[in-house]
Order: sequence, then C-alpha cells, then structure tokens
Amino acid sequence: MKKVIKLTKIFLKNSFSNIDSRMGISTKSKSKIIIYGLLFLYFAGLIIFLGYNLLDGLIAIHQEKVFVGMVLFMIFGLTIVQTIFSSINVLYFTKDSEYLLPLPLKPYQIILARTNVMLIAEYLIIFLVGLIPLVMYGILTKAGIIYYFTMIFAVILIPILPVLLISIIVMIIMSFAKLTKNRNKFQLIATLLVLAIIMGLAISTSGMKQDLTNEEMAQMVVQANGMIELVKGYIPTVDYLIEALTTKSLLTTIIEVLKTIGITIVGFILYMIIAQKIYFKGLVGNLFGGGTSHSNKEINQKEYRNSKLYKSYIGKEFKNLVRNPVFLVQCLLPAILIPILMVVVVYAGFNSDKMRLEQITQMLQQMPTNTFMIVCVILGVIQFFTMFIYISITAISRDGENAVFIKYIPVSLYKQYIYKIIPNIIMNIITVIITLGIAGYILHLPVITLIALFIIATIMGVFQSLVMIIVDLKRPKLNWDSEYAVVKQNLNLVFPVLLSMINIAIIVGTVFLLKDINVYLGTGILGILYIVLTAITNKYLYNKQYELANKII
Amino acid sequence: MIEIKNVSKSYVKGKKSVDDLNLEIKNGEIFGFLGPNGAGKTTTIRMITGILNIDEGDILIDGKSIKKEPLEAKKNFGFVPDSPDMFLKLKGIEYLMFMADVYDVPQNKRKEKIEELTKKFEIYNQLNNQIQSYSHGMRQKIVICGALLSEPKNWILDEPMTGLDPKSSYDLKEMMREHAKSGKTVFFSTHILEVAEKLCDRVGIINKGKLVFVGTFDEMKQKFKENASLEELFLEITEK
Repeated sequence: MKKVIKLTKIFLKNSFSNIDSRMGISTKSKSKIIIYGLLFLYFAGLIIFLGYNLLDGLIAIHQEKVFVGMVLFMIFGLTIVQTIFSSINVLYFTKDSEYLLPLPLKPYQIILARTNVMLIAEYLIIFLVGLIPLVMYGILTKAGIIYYFTMIFAVILIPILPVLLISIIVMIIMSFAKLTKNRNKFQLIATLLVLAIIMGLAISTSGMKQDLTNEEMAQMVVQANGMIELVKGYIPTVDYLIEALTTKSLLTTIIEVLKTIGITIVGFILYMIIAQKIYFKGLVGNLFGGGTSHSNKEINQKEYRNSKLYKSYIGKEFKNLVRNPVFLVQCLLPAILIPILMVVVVYAGFNSDKMRLEQITQMLQQMPTNTFMIVCVILGVIQFFTMFIYISITAISRDGENAVFIKYIPVSLYKQYIYKIIPNIIMNIITVIITLGIAGYILHLPVITLIALFIIATIMGVFQSLVMIIVDLKRPKLNWDSEYAVVKQNLNLVFPVLLSMINIAIIVGTVFLLKDINVYLGTGILGILYIVLTAITNKYLYNKQYELANKII
Repeated sequence: MIEIKNVSKSYVKGKKSVDDLNLEIKNGEIFGFLGPNGAGKTTTIRMITGILNIDEGDILIDGKSIKKEPLEAKKNFGFVPDSPDMFLKLKGIEYLMFMADVYDVPQNKRKEKIEELTKKFEIYNQLNNQIQSYSHGMRQKIVICGALLSEPKNWILDEPMTGLDPKSSYDLKEMMREHAKSGKTVFFSTHILEVAEKLCDRVGIINKGKLVFVGTFDEMKQKFKENASLEELFLEITEK
C-alpha cells in the first residue's frame, strides 16, 4: 500500500508541476495563494448564491429534499463527464507509462495509483460544487450531526463508481490497441468512440424513466417532499444516499450508507479483477504495439508548393489540434458538441411529452422575441458555450518545451500570437453559428438581428482569444508529462470561465441600464464597447509582444 | 559571422550565469563551444538565437543585432536545438514545407534542397510519416534538415551529434566542413571532445559563466600541458 501512495503522489506531482518550479519560483508564493484564494471565493460565492436561491424556493414549497437529490446527481454527472476526458489520458496517454513498466511494481499498484489520480482530481472539484451546497442544506434545514457525517460519506462514495465504470469502458476499448495497424489513428478513433458510447448512454438513460401523467406530477408537488421521487430510480447508490441524507431515522441512514459502501466495494473488486486482466494489454499495445503506419509512397509534387506564411502557420496549428486526440477532444470538439448536446438534452427531456414541447415553442414564438433583452440572453448563452474552447488559453502551453521555437524563427512574435489564436476564433464562430441557427429556428428572429448577433459574438470571441493568449503567455505551463496536463490539470483554464462570467455580468449590466432601448441601438452600443476592448487588448499584445514571451525559455 | 560583445546574463540577482562573454566566430570557421554541465553553454546559445534576453552587451549575426533587429538577425542563422522532439504530429514533409515557408525558401529550390538533404540523411522515404513515429536519431536529422533548408550563412547547433548514427554523424561533420569551406560559419556546442578536436578550427571553453579559453587545440596544448590528452586538458581548464 505504501508503494501505491508513493506512486499516487509522484503522478500527482508530475501532473501539477509547472513552469514556476522550473524557474525557481516558489509555487507557494503569496500572490499565487491570493489569486487562487480569490478564485475559490468567487466560485464558492457563485455556488452559494445559486444554491441558496434554489434551496430557498424549494423550502417555500416544502420540496427541499429534492435539492439533495439534485446535488448528488450533479456530483455523479460531473464525475462522469470529467472522467470521460481524464480516464483515457491518465490511464494511457501519460508519458511516464513507458518508464513505469520496467519498474518492480505489481500491476494492481499501478492501476490503484492511476485510479487514485483520477479520483483525487474529481474530489477537488466535487468538494467545491458538492460539499458547499450540501452544507448549506444542512444549515438551512437545521440538520443534526448525523447528516454531516452522512454527507461526507456521500461526497466520498458517489464519484467512485462512475470513475470505475468509465475506466473499464475505456480499458475495454483500448485493449484493442495492439490489434491496430496505426496507433495514432487508433488513439483518435478510440477517444471519439469512448465519447460517443458514453454520451449515447447518457442520452438514452435520460429518457428511461416512465412518463408521469399530469395528475401524478401534481400530486407529487402538493405532497410534502413528494418531488424527491422524481430524481430517484436512476442510480442505486444515489438513491440510497438520498434516502440516507433525507431520512430522520438513524437506522435507515446506517443501512443506506452500508448498502452504498457494499455496492462500491463490489464494484471496486470487479474493477480490479477486470482491470488487472485487460489494462496492461491495452497499455502495452498503445505504447509499443501495432506500430505506426509507415508510408513509403513518393511525395506528391503538390506537397512542394509554397504557401503564404499565415496559411502555413495556421494549418500547422490546426494539424496539431486535430491529430492529437487529447487536444481534439478538449479544445476543438467542445465548440461543436456543447451547443448540440445542450439542444439534444433539452429535447430529450421534453421528448416524453411532445405536446409540452410544441406548447413551449409556440409560447416562445408568441413572445416579442426581437428585443434587446432576448439578444442579451442569446449572447449570454453563447458566452457560456464558448468558455469551453481552450485553444487560445493553451496556445503556448500546448507546444510544451518546443514553445521556444517561436522565439528563434524570423517571424514577429505578434504575428505568431495572432496565427495561434485564429483556430480559437474560427471555432468560436462555429459555436456562434450553431447557437444562432438553433435560436433563430426556435425564436424566429429576423435575419438582421441574427447578423448583428453574429458580429458582436464574433468580436467577443476575438476579444476572448486575445485575452486568453495573454494569460497563457504570462503563466505558461511548458513542462508537462502528458497533453492531458495542459488542457485539464492547468489552473489557467479558470480564466476563460472567469472572463465569460465578466462578459455575462457586462451583458446583464447593459440590460439593466438600457432596458427598453431599441434592439439595434442596444446591440450597437454593446458592439462598440467590445470593439474598444478588443482594440485595447490587441494594442497591449502588440506593444508587449517581447516582454510577454519572457517566460518561454 | 557571429560577434558576442561583453554579454552577461543572470537568472538570479547577483549571480551571473554568463559573465562578460566576448567571442568572435569568423566567416569560414567551425567553432566548438565546450564546457561542463551548467557552465553557461545553453544560456549563451539561447541568447545568440534570441530565446533569452541579454542583460548586458550585444550579439551581432552578420552585423545585425539580435537585440535591436531581431527579425533581420534571425534570418541570418539556422538553429538546431538540443531536443529534436518538435512538431511530432506533423509529417516530415509538412514540417520541412512549414520551415520553407517561414524562411521564404523559393519555390524552385524547395524540392531540390529537401531531396538533397533528406536523401543524404537517409530519411527521404520517411517524409510521408508523422515525426512522432521517427526514432530519436531520425528526429534529430529532420530538425537539422529544417534548419539547413534555407541555406543560412550561420549554423548554430546545440549538441547536434546526440542520437545520430555513425554515418549520419560523419555526413553532418562533412557538411559542416563544406559549409565552413564556402566561407560561412558553424557554431556548435558539444560534450564529445574528440569531435571538437577533429572538426573545429577553434574552440571556446566556458566554465561557471566565464570564458576560460579560446583558441586552437595546439594553442591549448602550448598554454597548458604539451603532452596531455584532450580530456586531461579539458579537466585541467574547467577544474581550476
């Protein structure tokens, strides 16, 4: 067990070490602690604010217990989403695997340590988004000490099963690695396959629950805490823990927690048995097996054609993003998948009741949609979607130690920064087009409004891309052990979220200030504001192009 | 020609990693830059290539200051970094064409130059494969090809022999000789003393940030011990 703990520590240290330690700067520097402290407070504050409003509303209609169910579901769902992305990288794509295999370690020790890394990464987020609302529930409902003990069990236990389940799915798919003739293509296909299977499962299970009639629904709402039944029946461990957290009987709490522990232990044993059988086959196959397809064909004459530098540079950036499964999934795909997924989930949610969907669509269309308020809502939604595009925030870090390349070639740094953020701007435009397409279809917005929205959202995309490359230049993460570390274990990724929140705050502020303004005038004012902000940021990037590159060494 | 004038660099205040370095690498010369680990070799090369800012002094590449006219100076050299693990997701040919676009290699010269270099290093048949499928030595070769594609007047190479097989190492040394013969400059760092002895017109030895010797091997022998081996001379100079 000692070896497992040591391995886990080493994996974690490897993942989170960054440029600062390389440059001899203490990672515990005061400014850093202050920044992360403020960020923590910001997110904690946001969660408390949203959670409190929701819980307050539920208490008013005596349905507060449903809040516990929602939080536990959120933890479960969040773990699944996070693990989809992390498992394939932590288990297969980390650079240290090659050095690990010859060491005198037992297979279970490596598997356990890898699993620990995934779980610890989950807990970091789950403590923030899960523990805070649950404590808030405890305080507002004046729960006893037993509740808090059970709550800790719940937060610790819930993420385990989804992590194990997703890891097994990944291991099964990756066990075919040794059969492949082209390892690189296989990695890409396997990643997309894992994504497709799990998303398919998530969407299909969302419609699993039997439809409720309006009368049944009404009865549940009227009955004190009847709505809790709505969130039950999907995942056994979540059900047990909802019961354990909301019951007043100590005996029930103990029984339900024991049931959860029992299922988790069984799941864990099964996981270890299967993982020990298939993990290393896949790992070895992925590292050495199958080789990489070698093409000996003559070079096409077209390949020798010269092209403009900007085309060549942007092409290189896109190739690096598309051919790397981790970057593809984390940086490119969210731009397309997130808006589509949101629509699919919303439609799946309403699917059981077609009448209701039609009624809602009709209702929306009867509303005066061509207003500044609606424009701002759509802009806010776009901001929410685009904050998941991590191209610009990782533009420098993705190059790793090779980032110095930009400093010794005879191309101005400013030009290179711009070439590097163009893929972010393009993906941002794709997200905007998809979102506006859906919004235009549902709300029947005039074409001119859609064009105005497209222009503003694109300018905001350029602004976001410029700000994010500046952040990455100021805080690059250049020595990483796997691509995954750049796009996931990288604290810089909070900055796109932060900027999107600020943008949303600006949009909300504008709505309050310019309530009844003409839609085009209001849109124009917002447009001018963002043009000015973009111009200032661009000027800063140009003027400071050399100083900003100081950390790239 | 590369001129290093009174160059100093500190990472930590009060401790100079490179201290008042003065060097002139003339046209037609192969210059070997030697020194123990942590002596300041890489820092110097990084300053010459513009990767690191210079605290004091200046560096001129064919008369262009890397500080004041960085883009012009960078056009005058081809650089091979110590790690060849770059652009792994690009195919060999894509990397070379990208470098050709960066250095404005004329259309009519590209094919000829790429074929000449890659055939010499025996990687021509691998050009349609991604660089990540290459061995360490092959990666080193493709990076060298990329740096030499634009026929730069000055070659700056950081540990270029690492990972090369004997034939490729021999070919690279021959290319360095030919390049110097045509009146151009080669500046490279190495740990392999025999390579430096056989290849270099002059060597510079740096230790603890200071240049402790510049000259030919004969001069080194005269100055220190006449009958000592190269290894002994190097140790004597750097351990003083």
